[in-house]
Amino acid sequence: MSSCIAPSRLAALTKLRCSIFETSYNPTGVRTGAKYLRQRLRGPSMVAYYPKQLSLAHIVKKYPELGMKNTPELQRLDDVDDTKARGKGAPKKAATKADSRRAQKKR
Amino acid sequence: MGPRPKLRLLRDIQARQGVMDNELARRAYLYVARNQMLPSQIRHQAQLQLNTFSRYTRPATVKNRCSETGRGRSVLSEFGLCRVRFREQAKDGLLNGVRKASW
Repeated sequence: MSSCIAPSRLAALTKLRCSIFETSYNPTGVRTGAKYLRQRLRGPSMVAYYPKQLSLAHIVKKYPELGMKNTPELQRLDDVDDTKARGKGAPKKAATKADSRRAQKKR
Repeated sequence: MGPRPKLRLLRDIQARQGVMDNELARRAYLYVARNQMLPSQIRHQAQLQLNTFSRYTRPATVKNRCSETGRGRSVLSEFGLCRVRFREQAKDGLLNGVRKASW
């Protein structure tokens, strides 16, 4: 019967059990943060969720000996140069936050 | 021109990569911050360090999306497909062990 056994004896038993099975003795249930070390790493399975994406830019960069060209990207850069030459390019970025057009609008 | 890039999908891929790259450091800080045996000042410092990580390093940012359409709702995570693509592919017999119920 458990009511006959003194609490100190039960505590001693738990302590002994912990030393035998190599678990940490924590009778007051203090949070030690051990669960963050015990948990498995979730990153690898998260990265594996989507199938690998094939990208032309990646292949061109990885195998330069094939002499392939990323034509759509080159075309895009050409178009950007073209719009810039006609003065239709994107506006210059503000150097600081105070110079931004958004900040001027609010004033 | 190819299909429009699915921005949400790309962002999710980025988040997954970020989680994997920073997982060990984050775990170490979490251990220190949540450990009640350590002095509170050290725990506070660890918590401040945790707050400096970008949002794309937290596992909670990651969401299972459809790997073909990028749809975020009604995704069957077992197949990584949204309900629409799942139905199409199941009907075409592309998913092993899946068949239309009939009785």
